[in-house]
Amino acid sequence: MTTADSHNGRRLTARGAKTRARIVAAATDLMYIKGVGATTLDDVLAASGVSKSQLYHHFDGKDALVRAVIDHVGERVIERERAALGHVSTIRGLRRWRDALVQNNALRHGAYGCALGSLASEVSDHDALARQALSRLFTEWQELLAGVLRRLQDGGALPPEASIDQLATGLMAALQGGYMLAQTAHDVTPMATAIDMALAHIESLSKG
Amino acid sequence: MRTHFAEVLARESACLAGVTDGAKLAGWRRRVVEEIMTPLSPYASALRQTGDIPERADFLDRWRELIAETVDRLLQSGATGDTHSFSGQTRRADVDAQKTAVLILAALHGGSTLSQITEDPWPLNAALDLALAPFAAAEDNSPARTGTSSPIGSMNP
Repeated sequence: MTTADSHNGRRLTARGAKTRARIVAAATDLMYIKGVGATTLDDVLAASGVSKSQLYHHFDGKDALVRAVIDHVGERVIERERAALGHVSTIRGLRRWRDALVQNNALRHGAYGCALGSLASEVSDHDALARQALSRLFTEWQELLAGVLRRLQDGGALPPEASIDQLATGLMAALQGGYMLAQTAHDVTPMATAIDMALAHIESLSKG
Repeated sequence: MRTHFAEVLARESACLAGVTDGAKLAGWRRRVVEEIMTPLSPYASALRQTGDIPERADFLDRWRELIAETVDRLLQSGATGDTHSFSGQTRRADVDAQKTAVLILAALHGGSTLSQITEDPWPLNAALDLALAPFAAAEDNSPARTGTSSPIGSMNP
């Protein structure tokens, strides 16, 4: 799944893979907390304890490192969401998914937002490859939501004319926008409100 | 305050004040989508999750207030202006202006991020369709549409 080392076309030794993973883990934490723009390669060197030559052995520069972070975060988020949404087929199940996300974000007063959404709001326009990678990951995540909505529809909880893709995208936007509002306000309330309002709309369709 | 924040607030304050019905709300929405999809526009810059947090928090609070005032005005005028559809009234009375404004702002924010990574206004529009759904329902209840196949229309004598 990772492509970041393909530029030199070599296979990593076990030790090389470990070093690379250490760099990516340090960069992921820094970019999550400080933001992509504010994170320098020097910060990553200091936090990971690797040498400059080791870092450049694995990554051409910051863009390559950012792409590796996107792959890493994306894999984690999609795995978490697949576990949370893969078998949900009721509005109640969807609310439990919402509760877990809000609860986790509340632990930090919403300070850092969605790991994937923060990357998306910062890196989008200067790096087309990063943008495309993010776009694929969000499509995959939305597809998991669409799966839930389709199961609701199959079970009769949503009318046949409801546009599943549109609702899934709308729900994802409410979730991401909610994370961003919470992050700015240092308060998880607007995130909870945004998702609740979106879910209330989806639920109201069944009573239409 | 940063210029793009001030610029967006000035324009939103002027435009939202003129939104008095569903058609004007649709006009506001079309313009905002266009602004957000224009790279480097004040709207696109203001919705980036970068820069000073207190400044952005203040900007988002004030924009949300402007949206909430508009939503409130639309709900009031809808509830008093249309005596035909009782169920339309209760439906609108259920809508909380402050919470609806939070969802609209979240839809603009999250939708713009999704639209920027896909370089396509579709996600932003899908987000706004969901957030503005109470007003689509309000439009369906307008006198011009009663008597059509809508369930509320068919309830009228």
